[in-house]
Amino acid sequence: MDEVFGPGGVPHPELVPLVAELARLGPEQLAAAGRRRDAIFMQQGITFDATGEDGPVKDRPFPLDLVPRVIPATEWTHIKRGLAQRIRALNHFVDDVYHGREIVRDGIVPWKLIVSRSHFARAVHGVRPPGGVYCHVAGCDMVRDSDGSWKVLEDNVRTPSGISYVLENRVAMTRLVPQLFQHYRVRPVDHYPQLLLAALRAVAPSTDDEATVVVWTPGPMNSAYFEHAFLARQMGVELVEASDLVVRDDVLYMRTTSGLQRVHSVYRRLDDDFVDPLEFRPDSLLGVPGLVRAYRAGSVAIANAFGTGVADDKAVYHYVPEMVRYYLSEEPILQNVKTYLLTDPEQLHHVLGRLDELVVKPTGESGGKGVVIGPSTPKAELEKVAKYVQAEPERYIAQEIVKLSTVPTAGVDGTVAPRHVDLRPFAVFGETIKIIPGGLTRVAMVEGSMIVNSSQGGGSKDTWVLEDGTDAEREEPTIPAPLPPTMPDLRYGGWTGQAQQQQQQQQQAPAPTTAGEDA
Amino acid sequence: MLARIAHELFWLGRNLVRAEHTARMLDGVFQADVQGRPDDPAGVTLGWGSILAIMGANPEGLPARRDDVLERLTLDADDPASVVSCVARGREGARTVRDVISAEMWEAVNTTNLTLLEGDLSARLRTGPYSFYQYVKERSALFWGLTRRTMLRDDASAFLIAGGRIEAADMVLRMLRVALPVADADDTAARDGQALALLQAVGGFQAFRRAVPGPPNAQPVARFLLFERAYPDSVAASVESLLQSIEQADLNPRNSEPVLRLTRLGADLEFRRRSEIAGVGGLHGTFEFIQSELAQVDQDIAERYFAGAAAPGVVATHVNA
Repeated sequence: MDEVFGPGGVPHPELVPLVAELARLGPEQLAAAGRRRDAIFMQQGITFDATGEDGPVKDRPFPLDLVPRVIPATEWTHIKRGLAQRIRALNHFVDDVYHGREIVRDGIVPWKLIVSRSHFARAVHGVRPPGGVYCHVAGCDMVRDSDGSWKVLEDNVRTPSGISYVLENRVAMTRLVPQLFQHYRVRPVDHYPQLLLAALRAVAPSTDDEATVVVWTPGPMNSAYFEHAFLARQMGVELVEASDLVVRDDVLYMRTTSGLQRVHSVYRRLDDDFVDPLEFRPDSLLGVPGLVRAYRAGSVAIANAFGTGVADDKAVYHYVPEMVRYYLSEEPILQNVKTYLLTDPEQLHHVLGRLDELVVKPTGESGGKGVVIGPSTPKAELEKVAKYVQAEPERYIAQEIVKLSTVPTAGVDGTVAPRHVDLRPFAVFGETIKIIPGGLTRVAMVEGSMIVNSSQGGGSKDTWVLEDGTDAEREEPTIPAPLPPTMPDLRYGGWTGQAQQQQQQQQQAPAPTTAGEDA
Repeated sequence: MLARIAHELFWLGRNLVRAEHTARMLDGVFQADVQGRPDDPAGVTLGWGSILAIMGANPEGLPARRDDVLERLTLDADDPASVVSCVARGREGARTVRDVISAEMWEAVNTTNLTLLEGDLSARLRTGPYSFYQYVKERSALFWGLTRRTMLRDDASAFLIAGGRIEAADMVLRMLRVALPVADADDTAARDGQALALLQAVGGFQAFRRAVPGPPNAQPVARFLLFERAYPDSVAASVESLLQSIEQADLNPRNSEPVLRLTRLGADLEFRRRSEIAGVGGLHGTFEFIQSELAQVDQDIAERYFAGAAAPGVVATHVNA
């Protein structure tokens, strides 16, 4: 299905102004704006390393498509509630795995499945972080099925990336194609760093002064380094590498120009495996020895908490709707894509018979690595896949293919054509769960392709969630703008009785009030 | 601030100033070379061999050809002393600290680096390097202008500026030592010619004219580049600015080794300015002395600020527990 054009090529009523504005711009202006975009992104260094057809390309400008994707307010409310529900359930699950294992004892998720995963972290067994929050930052990948319903494809609760592009894309759009905004009220996204900082402060161990928060990056060689630096800059905190950190007596410090300074809260952007050579991989040079001990001692908060990887797993994903029912006693608002667990002999048999119709994914990988799409894979190749799967069924899952929805997308020459998209909304879990309106829409730049990963040549779109007055979503209460001082009216002899009275009345006018709801 | 970041900022400043100074020097020497009379090539030139000696790039003192030197010190990405290498290192450094410097500063460095790598530069250099060096000088001015205009004046900018100032002082001293050699003390005419070329190479000719009434001979030029605090690129001005930056960055400057050493060096420079020193030969001792003092300051700075925490097992002195 197409999100803009309905059957017969008629645009949805809400999108008519956008389509008209795009037509007015025309291919030439769109192409010109595209060239300006590339120049600006190169200059600002908003780039990433991609693998193109002719080998790896370094420092490619991040491809932002100039046609925005629009999500009406009602639809967004549905997604937002569904995601918040899902993240709450996942958080309960992580807590349960490292404590009571109720869900295992009640026979809903098999223990073997959890404990065999590389992301299961024995080191943090029995540790409960402040507030019981594990998944401080989550980015769930969502797709729209052919009937228009939203489905969750994947939960990312280790180190989901892409939020910096959401924010940069919005800024770039307002500079490059401001005319597209004129008919819409788009919900802002730029408060994300403040939300994140507040969440990181909220979970920090108590301190007399303000908590010291840092962003921990593996270093400039990491492909998401731009984002790490971006977040640190936006939050006004230090961007640290392992060599800056040191643990003394179970307390984490960073090395500053004036000695050691205590760190209370770490937003880490590297996997469990690398964080502490004493507890996880001993060969990790990126880690800080003793960090897990400090974490267990409760002297430092880590976001996302160690061990959250168990909720990130593609096989565990299968059970998330069940978790929602189990932990929250609610019906899941968002559905999964139909998934087959290959450890079940019946399902394995079913999958092997239909390999050419399904998608096979390795459970432990991310970034689209190792994914086999049945219909577009040669038969010989599929036979090999069948062998892998039979040999190690626990390392793979299979999913029904979702025909991703399409959105009009501008090519290099400025002509607009439909391309497949997905969506990654971002949630921050501090005292409450807050979800940034929209998220990163990734778009396949090749006709018919469903590969949207930016590391494999996919692009992105600015995602607009529209303001809607009639909806439950209202604006935050705002402070009314101060009235400008009234000049004395000279015609009636200056600043006298009547004018003064008028002004007083104006100032005493009741301020407009609106009931607010969380972003 | 993080010791690693302070270190990066310090070297960002050093690399960018080195790029600018190298560009200025090559530009000045190129101009002098083109204008020089064929029958008296040493009369007004700094000489291409001396340039390599200044950069410490030709320890054997091999004969140097203009085009080779220009190409090598400008474009050779493999030579760490070349302009493009310095800018590229600066860009990498700026990338690491882009959350600390302002976005405009980062864009300035990033764009400079991108532009320097564009097109057929060798051809541009052969036809006339003026525009290339002009670009580097302008972009450098843009960067430092943006630093003053957009960067918070905290310890981060202090380390950035400190790096720039120590590099500037060092470059000027290197040039003085090579351009005004002590060995051929009799050949005053040649040395005066070198001094003029040197003055043009650092871009200080006009300032010298306004500040000093005499001719641009070796002795007054050397004194001007060493002691004239009103000239921003003189050694004395750089030392003063370096001292200010370090004092600002240090929580406890009274106890700081680099601050103490720089204070003493500043006073010493003032004393030497006031005392009569006979000829350039006499000044040579001063060049050497200041350079070794600055090397010591550099080491002090590294030990005090960039080593970060105390050695393992030692309790830190300043802990915000």
